[in-house]
Amino acid sequence: MSAAAAFIVWLGAALLVLSEGRRALALGMALITVGFAVLALAGVGALAASAILVGGGFAAGRRFRSGPDAWGVMPSGSTARVVLAAAVGLPALWISTSVMTGPGAPLRFAALSVLGLMTARVLTPSEPPAVLTALAALALSVAAAAGVAGTSPGPAVYVLAAIAAVGISLIPVRELDGA
Amino acid sequence: MEPELAVGLPAVGSVCAAFLRARPRAALLAAGVFGLLGVAAVILTSPGATSDQLGLGLSLSPESRALLIASGAAMALTVVLAPLAVERATLLTWGLAGLAGMAAIAAAGSLELVILVVLVLAVLQAAAGSSRSLATRLRGPVLAAALLSLAAVCARAEGPQYLQRFAAVALVAGLSAALGTLPYMHDFDPDERTSTSPIPWIAFIGPVLALAVLARARELIPSEGGVLGAMMIGLGLLNMVWGCVASWRTENGAAAWHYSFIADWGLVLCGLGLAIADGQSAAILLLYGIVLSRLPLYLWSRQSLREKRPNDRPINLLAAAMLAGAAPFAGFAARVLLLRGATQLYWPLALAIGLALLLWLPPSLRLGRSLGLPRGRQAWGVGIALAINVVIGLYPQPFLALAGL
Amino acid sequence: MPSLALLAPVALPLVAGGLTAALGLAGLKPGRAIVGAGAWVALLVLLLLWLPIRSTVELTLGPLGFGANLDLRLDGVAFAFGLVILVPSAILLTLQPRTWQEGTLAALGVAAAVLAVEGSGVLLTALAGGTAATLAVIHLDIEDIRAPRPPWGALLAAWLALSWAGGILQVVGGTAVYGAVPVSALTVPVFALLAGAALMASGLFPWRGWPAQLWSRPSLRAAGMAVATLYPLGFYLLVRAYEMGDGQYPQPVIGILLACLGVLVSLGVAVRAQAAVTRREYLGEVIPGLGGFALMAIAIGTPVGLVAGLVVLATIGVLAACLPLLPDRAGPPTLLTIAAAAGVPPGLAFGALVVALAATFEAGDFMGLIGVAGAAVWILFMVAAARAIGLPAGRGHPAIETFPRVAMALAAVLLIAGAALPVVVTTFAIPAQTDVMPRFAGLGGGLTSVSTIQTDLPALALFTPLLLLGLIAYGITGVFGTQRAARREPVAAAGEQKPAAPRSAPPRPPVFTIPGLDAPKHWLDAVRRAAVPEQYRSIVNPRALEKAAAGGRPLLWLATLVALAYAVNR
Repeated sequence: MSAAAAFIVWLGAALLVLSEGRRALALGMALITVGFAVLALAGVGALAASAILVGGGFAAGRRFRSGPDAWGVMPSGSTARVVLAAAVGLPALWISTSVMTGPGAPLRFAALSVLGLMTARVLTPSEPPAVLTALAALALSVAAAAGVAGTSPGPAVYVLAAIAAVGISLIPVRELDGA
Repeated sequence: MEPELAVGLPAVGSVCAAFLRARPRAALLAAGVFGLLGVAAVILTSPGATSDQLGLGLSLSPESRALLIASGAAMALTVVLAPLAVERATLLTWGLAGLAGMAAIAAAGSLELVILVVLVLAVLQAAAGSSRSLATRLRGPVLAAALLSLAAVCARAEGPQYLQRFAAVALVAGLSAALGTLPYMHDFDPDERTSTSPIPWIAFIGPVLALAVLARARELIPSEGGVLGAMMIGLGLLNMVWGCVASWRTENGAAAWHYSFIADWGLVLCGLGLAIADGQSAAILLLYGIVLSRLPLYLWSRQSLREKRPNDRPINLLAAAMLAGAAPFAGFAARVLLLRGATQLYWPLALAIGLALLLWLPPSLRLGRSLGLPRGRQAWGVGIALAINVVIGLYPQPFLALAGL
Repeated sequence: MPSLALLAPVALPLVAGGLTAALGLAGLKPGRAIVGAGAWVALLVLLLLWLPIRSTVELTLGPLGFGANLDLRLDGVAFAFGLVILVPSAILLTLQPRTWQEGTLAALGVAAAVLAVEGSGVLLTALAGGTAATLAVIHLDIEDIRAPRPPWGALLAAWLALSWAGGILQVVGGTAVYGAVPVSALTVPVFALLAGAALMASGLFPWRGWPAQLWSRPSLRAAGMAVATLYPLGFYLLVRAYEMGDGQYPQPVIGILLACLGVLVSLGVAVRAQAAVTRREYLGEVIPGLGGFALMAIAIGTPVGLVAGLVVLATIGVLAACLPLLPDRAGPPTLLTIAAAAGVPPGLAFGALVVALAATFEAGDFMGLIGVAGAAVWILFMVAAARAIGLPAGRGHPAIETFPRVAMALAAVLLIAGAALPVVVTTFAIPAQTDVMPRFAGLGGGLTSVSTIQTDLPALALFTPLLLLGLIAYGITGVFGTQRAARREPVAAAGEQKPAAPRSAPPRPPVFTIPGLDAPKHWLDAVRRAAVPEQYRSIVNPRALEKAAAGGRPLLWLATLVALAYAVNR
């Protein structure tokens, strides 16, 4: 279950990297949200999972309602992004399963994947909707990464991450970028 | 309850100022009251005492508290004595938002909370709009968030010892990316508004952020203190030299100021990297100088830089002396402490630092001239900033005691 | 008097400066009375504190926070240097007109310099000396930003070096208080740092340094104050080094090197002085020349040498007041000043230099050779002085800031004080010497002669008749008649500059020229003109480098991260 959740998280992150349209961005955000919620439920508890669902869901919903109404998955010139998705995913998998030991490998993989992919998304030239979505996902991954420790970090971090994701997604897109 | 108030009150003030922007006087009044109450909450907070009202375990360390107070004072100085052309309500909006963020960073009980606050602040700043693209403005803080998060993962995960070292690397790199020092300098547009430029990161939020990150680092990777220190000293030396030379030789005056902040941060990083009392004290004094003197002077120089009106009056020369760290200013006391601390650790390091210190003078003379001829409120502001710096330089004991040193 | 009174010599000029600033900011014209009064009262308090008891008084006020305590100490050394600083400062602040900004800075500079010599530890001296340097530079700049001034970077480096030396003493020896530093802590490297700081602080180099360049400024108000407050501080450090080393420098060879340097400084000055084109140019070399002799004497390492060096410093102090007040025209004031400065008998400088050279011969070995060299340089100095009498005056400075009678009186005091050399030695120099060299027997001789280890100089008996003969000779030659004739000339209007009247006679050639002396200047000019050849400029492109570093390129950031990780894990 955890492994599947981690894979879904990676898939969502990869979709965020490969997409430009609001539908794909929203789907990617939703996948990340669901995956992290499952992992949080297993590691921390229901409150943390609920917070992630609410925050990530809100961010996904906001993204679905703003921006060009298209999927925009793998537009032209996406080869580098495909390579990036794999290039981040594979080392993340290796690090989380072979280098880092102990239980919680799926969580580590999910967190590292999202951290790497979302950072790459922001650092490369991107449109504001994609950047903001990536930031919301990054906020969720920060909270999820807190669960890597043996002891549970408590639900507070997840709640705050959810609030951050909501706040980020509320930023109006049209006022940004050179205004 | 005080840490929560220290975060909440300035945040409310900032929101009030934003909502009341159509009525500047009301905005100024409301924001001013909340801001003062917020600073009072910081002052009344017992350093080190944990407050669990929100289940977050918030607590302010003595150093962070001291710098928050200094930041509050600096903000008050710049708002009250702002040039006439500057809208004070806007300045207060941004300043209080930054102060709230800083209080949250300082009070955060874990590195994750710090990272989340950094992300939120970055987005808020980016939301203001600027000539630079959104992605460009977010690069530094986002990389910082990612690296700090990576550091947390590496530090907490079980595995080989070198994971701890990677955590140390990621922490230092993340801090550098957040501040905008080398090798992760933020893109700087000299014509951009200060509130949306990299300056708030390096000069306002940065000091508290650095202390918070390092405090968390000591908890996360207690065995890698030496590695952490060595990297910070290395980056510190690099930033000192680059910052000074670039500040001296760059063509643009505003860019020269930006580089001067980087140079000062080089000293701070060296001090923090020394990890002994003298180094910490030096770093705190330098941070006081950045927040209480260099930042206000930069804000007051903006108009003169735009109008290209350098000047060589006594006040410009005094400002140059202060920026160069000459006696009797705070920078001199900090340098004495830094040299002594470096000597305790490894005397060739003190020699390297000492030689690098000589580079401060040429850019400082340039920056002092760029203040132009301050008049009216600006002149009072520059005078007050200089006076504060002299007091700290001649008698740093109480200011260090406030920071718990 | 309670020990809190030790603060007075520092606080009084400080308060005077603050009051002047307050009145100036309020739009009133405070004039020079306040700052002058502040300096004079500080001097009075210093005398009252020291003369009745003549033993060390200390005041401990607690830590400042950067490793230094606000601990003050008035002993013989502090008294001597306090006089050297306060006497010329008080005279100049009282007489020369200044703006309120200049007056404030000058008064604050005096306070800082006095604190530097009253401080009981290296770090406090570094802080105060650095402050005095900063204030002096700013004072010079606001008077005339285009005129020569001390290189700020060198002064900053000097006081930073001293603060580093203080830090090392604290780390190695546990303290940087002059009287408490363990002898073993003052190692050769630490002393080298301290000596380097001292030499840079006072500009003690064989080439033309800031103490000489200042005298070419159009106005000598700020220049006089800068020399009065800054120049003695380097010597102060070298004297205190004896205290830290329990009466000696860490190695005998250090004293030899410094003494050689002193002679070289004076030689460089003498060479320039004898080639001076104007009298102003010559007078600008006078203080650095005596400074070189002072350095030589102090570095000998014997009580006699130290005493002689201190007396030379006293002469420098009086000259620091005399030279800015001297008008740029021929006459008795100029004549007497040149005589006093060149060490013409029976002046104080003459007596001090005789004792200093005697000290080198008494020290023996290589010091004796240095003494011979010193004597030769002194002769050259005298030749330069004789030549300078006939030189054109040079660029004038405003008459409003000159006081020829006061300058003449100060020069006369220096000449007459030669006969009172034993008194000066006994009251001024020996107390300082016994504070830093306690193991050596003090000099004897009382108030009429100066007794050294091997000789006895009956100064009063020898110099008084010389003085009388000199007075008679001057009277016969009608020099005072020349003065009356000069008074009948139209008096210059206040503030009007009196440039020297152009002389039709060709400039006096130097006594000798040294071939190749211009070579360093040519080399420096060549270095300054050097530039990267055109075809290689694209390789070194600072703008591109700046753009790359500040561009925020992700690949560069990633590469840096990898490099950091590799470096750490190597």
